[in-house]
Amino acid sequence: MITLHEVSKTYTVSKELTVPAVRNVTLDVARGEFVVITGRSGSGKTTLLSLVAGLTRPTSGRVLLDNVDVWRLPDAEQSLLRNRKVGFVFQFPSLLPTLNSLDNVMLPTLFADNADPAQAKQRATHLLEQMGLSDKLHAYPRQLSGGQQQRVVIARALMNEPQLLLADEPTSDLDETTEHEIMGLFREIHQQTGVTVLLVTHSAELGSYGTRSIQMAGGEIVAS
Amino acid sequence: MKLIRLAISNLAGSSFRSWLVFFCSALMAGFVVSGTLVIRGADSSLRLALERLGADIIVVPKGNSQRLETALLMGIPAHMWMPDTVVDDIRAVSGVEAASPQIYLSTLRGAVCCSVPEMFLIAYDPDTDFTLKPWLEKNLEGGLALAEAVGGSLVFVPVQDGALLVYGTSLELKGTLEATGTGLDQSMFFTFDTAFKIAEESSDLAVKVLDIPPRTVSSVLVRVGMDQDPHQVALAIAEKLPNVTPMETSSLFQGQREQILSLLNSVVALLGITWLLGMGLTTVIFALAVNQRRRQIGVMRALGARRTVVLQSLLMEAGLLAIAGGIQGIAIAALAIYLFRPLIVRLMGVPFLFPGFLPLAGLGLGALALVLVGVLLAAAIPIVRVSLQDPAISMRE
Ligand SMILES: Nc1ncnc2c1ncn2[C@@H]1O[C@H](COP(=O)(O)OP(=O)(O)O)[C@@H](O)[C@H]1O
Ligand SMILES: [Mg+2]
Repeated sequence: MITLHEVSKTYTVSKELTVPAVRNVTLDVARGEFVVITGRSGSGKTTLLSLVAGLTRPTSGRVLLDNVDVWRLPDAEQSLLRNRKVGFVFQFPSLLPTLNSLDNVMLPTLFADNADPAQAKQRATHLLEQMGLSDKLHAYPRQLSGGQQQRVVIARALMNEPQLLLADEPTSDLDETTEHEIMGLFREIHQQTGVTVLLVTHSAELGSYGTRSIQMAGGEIVAS
Repeated sequence: MKLIRLAISNLAGSSFRSWLVFFCSALMAGFVVSGTLVIRGADSSLRLALERLGADIIVVPKGNSQRLETALLMGIPAHMWMPDTVVDDIRAVSGVEAASPQIYLSTLRGAVCCSVPEMFLIAYDPDTDFTLKPWLEKNLEGGLALAEAVGGSLVFVPVQDGALLVYGTSLELKGTLEATGTGLDQSMFFTFDTAFKIAEESSDLAVKVLDIPPRTVSSVLVRVGMDQDPHQVALAIAEKLPNVTPMETSSLFQGQREQILSLLNSVVALLGITWLLGMGLTTVIFALAVNQRRRQIGVMRALGARRTVVLQSLLMEAGLLAIAGGIQGIAIAALAIYLFRPLIVRLMGVPFLFPGFLPLAGLGLGALALVLVGVLLAAAIPIVRVSLQDPAISMRE
């Protein structure tokens, strides 16, 4: 599913200052795995996810998704690949504040040229119901709690039935109970749909939710 | 969901910014429309008035040139007389192709016919006339008969009387000339014979007798030959006839032209400032907005929005504001100019003609297109920059 081959990413802040965020990472993730990535803040976890999704260009090395080199594709095809195959859950509040839950969940269909609006609405409603939000379909993000917002985000990530689910510290803003609820949700989704999951978290104890655990430090994979 | 709905919801989500750009667009479009209306209105008014005169040179008794200009421009009657022998003398000047005399009269003060206290009346010689002829040939077969008249656009037959009374003689209004925005709109044309009939009957019918001195005319309209220089011909007339002033129509209304020119300069300067400020402010506002929404833009890219889609949706926001604000500004500007027409004439000292529906619609559409392009260009600078950014970088704090 995912192959990283000797991938490095160095940010150029200024002429004098460059930050090596990911160093020479080689990683293979098979279809259906649930990989939990842990590591301290600044260890390069977010950058690694961005590299996998083609959201930032590697300084060196190759990123393959289903054996396709993401950075060989023109922008339109790369975007389409993300739209069709990848679902995202971000660390920060990522719902559009001016759209209600339903519209937020349907947002990915806006970028797929062939979406059927009626079908999209039906699926979005179904997903939100699955997330336990059947009474929040028309609520705006500011009317939802942090945990509820994150559930909407997860529904949005699942909208186009992705093969790969990328989650960057999805529980960092949540209290402990909600954190475990959300993690349980990921496990459930993984078991039910067989989607490949790459989940970043700062707390090592959450590693047990996955089928495989990777630890990062200083931009490198130090344990797996 | 459509991209346009996303754009509208984004606009609604940041109403202050939206209002500012809306306001800039309205201002930019409004100034284009009002500036163009004033300048074009004044210019076309003078142009139409000159066309109506249809002569290269107007010869008046010496010392009357200023009064004639005022009469033509403002419709304030002017009376002037010279012996009718000048007509033949002028015809004899080399370079003169045609010469036709006119007699200037006015209605009694307070006549019910007119919107002005005194109406400027112009009697022409149908045998030699060449200025009214093209219009008459097109609109009135056989020209004007005795006791018939054509009027400027503001001349009308009073409803309660059912007739146009001039010194007690009732005239039949056979047609109305196109508006010029000048005094010609308040004047009336008829033949010499009609003028003489009015004068003759006035002793019986009117409270005051209309006096036309025998064997005199008020002015002579001159057309020069095809390849003659009107200026040279005018000089020749002045030399041969010391008691007249030949006025070249091409240099008529010189004061008003200068006024329009200086008005044009002010309008251009004002437009430049408004547009510079409007576009500058739009760029700044969009730079702020786009920066504030960097994360949202990164999220959209992560969800599969192509670079061009991000570009489109942001430009759509700018375009929607430009169109909405532009329409508002155009409507307000056109309405204001229309309502304050008389004030413009008085303040600017130039005649003014409000355009018809089609030219006005054309001007509106043109201004709208201009504002759309201006605002899109101004907003494009920050929008293009953000859409070229790596999504991962957009999403960082
Ligand atoms: N756009 C960027 N410009 C400069 N430095 C960056 C950028 N993004 C990340 N970094 C740096 O790269 C390192 C790794 O960052 P990140 O991948 O966000 O780590 P994590 O997600 O594990 O906290 C950090 O030192 C961070 O400061
Ligand atoms: Mg991170």
